[in-house]
Amino acid sequence: MVPLSWYLALSAVLFTIGAVGVFVKRNVISIFMCIELMLNAVNLTLIAFSSFYREVSGQLFVFIVMTVAAAEAGVGLALVIAVFRNRESLNTDDINLLKL
Amino acid sequence: MIFFLQEQIPLPNPPISSAPPVQVNAILTDINPIVNYLPILLLLIIAISFPVVALNISSFLRRTVFDQAKLSAYECGNDPVGDARERYSVRYYIIAMLFLIFDVETVFLFPWAIIYDQLAIFGLIEIFIFIGILIVGYYYAWRKGALEWV
Amino acid sequence: MQSLNLNYYYVLPHIILSITGIMSLLFGAFNKQAHRDLVFINSAGLITAGVSTYRLWNLVSSNAKDGPLTAFSGMVVLDHMSLAFIFIFLIVAFLSTLLSLNFLEDEDQSPEEFNSLLLFATVGMMLMASAGDMVMVFLGLEIASIATYVLAGYRKTDLRSNESALKYFILGSFSTAFLLYGMALVYGATGSTNLETISNAIKSGNNAITAQPMVMELLYVGAGMLLVGFGFKISTAPFHVWTPDVYQGAPTSVTAFMATGPKAAAFVAFLRIFVFTFAASYSFQLHTTWVNLLQVLAILTMIIGNIVALSQTDIKRVLAYSSIAHAGYALIGFLADDWISVAFYMLTYSIMNIGAFAVVSVMAGKGDEKTELENWAGMGFKSLGLSIALLVFMLSMAGMPLTGGFMGKFFIFKTAWDKGFHIIVIVAVLNSAISVYYYLRPMVMLFFRDENETNPTPLMSWTTYVTILLALAGTFYLGIMPGRLFSLLEVAKDVLVK
Repeated sequence: MVPLSWYLALSAVLFTIGAVGVFVKRNVISIFMCIELMLNAVNLTLIAFSSFYREVSGQLFVFIVMTVAAAEAGVGLALVIAVFRNRESLNTDDINLLKL
Repeated sequence: MIFFLQEQIPLPNPPISSAPPVQVNAILTDINPIVNYLPILLLLIIAISFPVVALNISSFLRRTVFDQAKLSAYECGNDPVGDARERYSVRYYIIAMLFLIFDVETVFLFPWAIIYDQLAIFGLIEIFIFIGILIVGYYYAWRKGALEWV
Repeated sequence: MQSLNLNYYYVLPHIILSITGIMSLLFGAFNKQAHRDLVFINSAGLITAGVSTYRLWNLVSSNAKDGPLTAFSGMVVLDHMSLAFIFIFLIVAFLSTLLSLNFLEDEDQSPEEFNSLLLFATVGMMLMASAGDMVMVFLGLEIASIATYVLAGYRKTDLRSNESALKYFILGSFSTAFLLYGMALVYGATGSTNLETISNAIKSGNNAITAQPMVMELLYVGAGMLLVGFGFKISTAPFHVWTPDVYQGAPTSVTAFMATGPKAAAFVAFLRIFVFTFAASYSFQLHTTWVNLLQVLAILTMIIGNIVALSQTDIKRVLAYSSIAHAGYALIGFLADDWISVAFYMLTYSIMNIGAFAVVSVMAGKGDEKTELENWAGMGFKSLGLSIALLVFMLSMAGMPLTGGFMGKFFIFKTAWDKGFHIIVIVAVLNSAISVYYYLRPMVMLFFRDENETNPTPLMSWTTYVTILLALAGTFYLGIMPGRLFSLLEVAKDVLVK
């Protein structure tokens, strides 16, 4: 028997790892993976609550989040490819054309 | 907060069985609850036998001509022998993306299939609209040449 | 538990626009060079959607006693707020469609994807406006955002456009993750994703499922995460850093769209969740917490937006910082719990911003090459009409009387003052005074500097001309005769009070 709080703690840790990764990582693909990790941490929270309450709307939410994450991954990778074709680099320090 | 130290909230009432149980099943499951898994075993047997039978039948019917390319392991067009850290062509990317989108969208078919008997004809129309929209997207990608191997 | 009320009439505008989007996608796939036809298809769809929205508005008005209309198990809620914002989105989409024709034709971009993405983004925004459930808020937000990410990177070979889209994408999805985590925690605290059930749970202080006192810590953390997520989307001060880069790099007609539409959509979802679901009468403690937070955010947003705009040299960055400052002004309307002044403000803001970006897109020429203010030196007399139009839009943003911007600010400041938010209104008025400096700087460049290079006279197509004229007409109409529109909205206010 795993109590709800363990799931919540795990998903909070995963979310934090993702959020820190977005700030720390320098490669666009890694940043992208960190964002996916954050989304999946949220999915875990929703599933845990849904199972805890014996209620289905959290799981419905997870379905929506999964499909949206897939669409986002498609668009994100397309943008990454477009940047790489023109710039030959995925390091965020090189993507510096627009600034004050 | 002590509330969250449980696994699930306690059920308000003992579950009420709405429909009377089917007698045969009840007797069988009284003997051994594993009988409930019998359909899964049947499905497993069918699933294993299908490729075995299909491959054997085709091996009787085909002409046996071998060459180098045919004998090598099938690896979706990549050279199967060599360094594993090889770079993939970017041309796989667009196919992968299309697969990703269409594969994930089918996740909505599962909840629909579960309550299909309640939704009936209405659900059928709805899901055809859903699939129709997917087909429009697929057709657009095809028309735009996303499936061509350039 | 609501019944499964599948009423397609309530989502008719959404359905019409989705079908129009799919049709223009297919039409473009079959026809090469269909730029102009697609503008007509889009406009027809938008006008039809507008008519059906108008009929829904009448329906909501006549059903006022029974409260807002709900459909699809409470997923869709139609009230005057959602319909008013849907009208704003339709106007924004219409003007953006007209404006983008020039960009698409000049640079030979494929029009069908642009037009259908524009419509899909509009559908997403409309879903956010009519959302009655957190799932719907999230879904609408993502439909709008994903379409806008693609639009921002529409110049596939332009480095600035690439970079803008990538930054928008990364920061947008980052903020979405925060928003989503907030929603998950609110779901955990209250036991429901339906906004009405959540507000009932907050009112009673009990979890909707277990009927025991809810865990307030979860609710607070969740509400904080929601605040961060929405703060990113409407670009309030600590979360505003993406805005100038994204607005500068994207094609100007796309910037016009995403500075107005998605921002108004984020505002309406923000209003729906914070003002109506976490309403003051339900939970005094939660309400005071977020009001204090929002006060700080609004002051920071206005000050940072206006001060940093002073030092910008690129017109699109100036407008981006001005849009940050405007988000700060609109937040004051939140504090006063008054959606009507926010809706009116977003309408005026959208119209004058699209107008200003339309002028910028013409002045900047093909490929948005000349967006630096230095490039504009001495162009004023060469393109007098354009410069005067820009002057009007800029004065309207600064809050000059007789223009829409003045009335929008006036209504917001007045309601906030009446509710007792004196300090923040004084700060806002001072900020408006500061903003006049950077709004008038382009005029100084245009009229009072010598031409430093031989610039060709900017050319524009008739659709851009129509866009600018419509925006001018809208700015003056809202500035001189706001009474009729405002009395319409005031009637809606009485209806909405629970």
